[in-house]
Amino acid sequence: MSTEVTERPVVTSRPRGSARRARVFTRPALALLALLVLVGIWQLVALARIWPEQLLPTPGQVWHQLLVTSDSGNGQGGYGGSTLWERLGVSLRRVAYGSVYGIGIGVGLGLLMGLVPAVRATVEPLVTFLRALPPLAYLSLLVIWFGIDEEPKVYLLMIAAFPPVAVATAAAVTGVNRQYVEAARALGARGWQVVASVILPASAPEILTGVRLAVGIAYGSVVAAETVNGADGIGGMVLNAQRYNQTSVVILGLVVIGVTGLLIDSLLVALSRLLSPWRGRA
Amino acid sequence: MSTLLTLSGVQHHYGRGTRAVAAVGPLDLHVNAGEFVVVVGPSGSGKSTLLRLIAGFEHPSTGTVELAGQPPVPGRDVGVVFQQPRLFPWRSVDGNINAALRWAGVPRADRAAASVDLLAKVGLSGLGARRVWEISGGQQQRVAIARALAARPRLLLLDEPFAALDALTRERLQEDVRTLTNRDGQGAVFVTHSVDEAVFLATRIIVLTDRPGRIAADIAVPLPRTGVPAAELRAWPEYAALRGQVAAAVRATLTEVEERV
Repeated sequence: MSTEVTERPVVTSRPRGSARRARVFTRPALALLALLVLVGIWQLVALARIWPEQLLPTPGQVWHQLLVTSDSGNGQGGYGGSTLWERLGVSLRRVAYGSVYGIGIGVGLGLLMGLVPAVRATVEPLVTFLRALPPLAYLSLLVIWFGIDEEPKVYLLMIAAFPPVAVATAAAVTGVNRQYVEAARALGARGWQVVASVILPASAPEILTGVRLAVGIAYGSVVAAETVNGADGIGGMVLNAQRYNQTSVVILGLVVIGVTGLLIDSLLVALSRLLSPWRGRA
Repeated sequence: MSTLLTLSGVQHHYGRGTRAVAAVGPLDLHVNAGEFVVVVGPSGSGKSTLLRLIAGFEHPSTGTVELAGQPPVPGRDVGVVFQQPRLFPWRSVDGNINAALRWAGVPRADRAAASVDLLAKVGLSGLGARRVWEISGGQQQRVAIARALAARPRLLLLDEPFAALDALTRERLQEDVRTLTNRDGQGAVFVTHSVDEAVFLATRIIVLTDRPGRIAADIAVPLPRTGVPAAELRAWPEYAALRGQVAAAVRATLTEVEERV
């Protein structure tokens, strides 16, 4: 009881009148409102039947597809043999492997690039070149080299993920405040001790920004990776549905990919806050 | 007392050829164990360069620096306190001290106790778990001093460590450093441009000339290190006389500059 009483003043101190009405439109509330308006417009346009149903299904039809493709007992095992969530799991596993390998290579290479100018001069053009290539372009080569199983897909995501991490790591390492390095040397730190205990942690905030970028790129490339024998993933579902003009499935796939991508990104933002709480403080 | 630090014929310049700028020297200096030497001089007199040479961060262009008979190596035999605390923000207060203990070669099992001792020494008992941005500037500098003491250096180098602190905090830190360093026969070289700070802390004051820094005056400070409260000491006539003497020596270096320009 007593806690209720002490908490009450916070509630009563809310602004009244017009100020109170303005408070309702906080940022998340506005975002939700915009989303509802967008779905509303979509519903109206779809109902007006300016375009046939095959081109523009209603939100309700897409929702129906969500329920159908989530149901493994619907006669076709969800969609084409596996449910939407199984497909999402398959794709996410590919993204996870590709990202983890890519981040590992990116941090290692970026560290070398940042510490050894000769390595940077040699490797940087190559990294920039890879970064400029659309993943779909080198998929063909990966398929020739590694076949059509999991390897080329994971390698594709890895190649897409590592350049931003390498570039961010190299920039972070060269940008480390020399004062920290000198302080560590004055305390007797040598060679790898300086790298492991000062340069890496001091670079962590920037490396994490690169990681966020890399995971986003890897996730964005999963549809490309699943164009060859990737029908079991969520990108494969979209590609397959396109072949049969199942527009509502395509839209469902896009929405799921988009929402999942946003969730992953917010997770990474939370993670980087957790891992570098000193960011902006020193 | 044994000689701890020897500088002979030390000269240092930055840059090469015709664009070389002389920063220090020629300069000879001996510091004995247990001495607290304060180097005073106008801005740009090469005080910080001198400290960097002693710490081993830079090597003199000519001449030799020897610490306990060896050329100085950063992190061996010397502890350095910089003007900014330079604490690692990704580590807690304890984490900073532990890193220093690890780099100093203190075995893992002994580090926790050593960290507690060091924090107590600088008056920060119980603050080990704090994040470095959660403590005040004065406290941060205390952690930096504890960190520099972790390896039990024979010589402590301090580069204007209190310049960025407010007057009250500065005075308290001065008092603590004064009693801290005269405990175990450690040597100290402390750089400042404050005459009062020099007289208060030093057993011996070196006044540097304007760039390139040479020794303009070498003044012994025969004030008691213990037993007299700081405020009382500052009111002593001897204290005032020393202040006047050092201030005059510093002013003389400035007059030289004006005459030259």
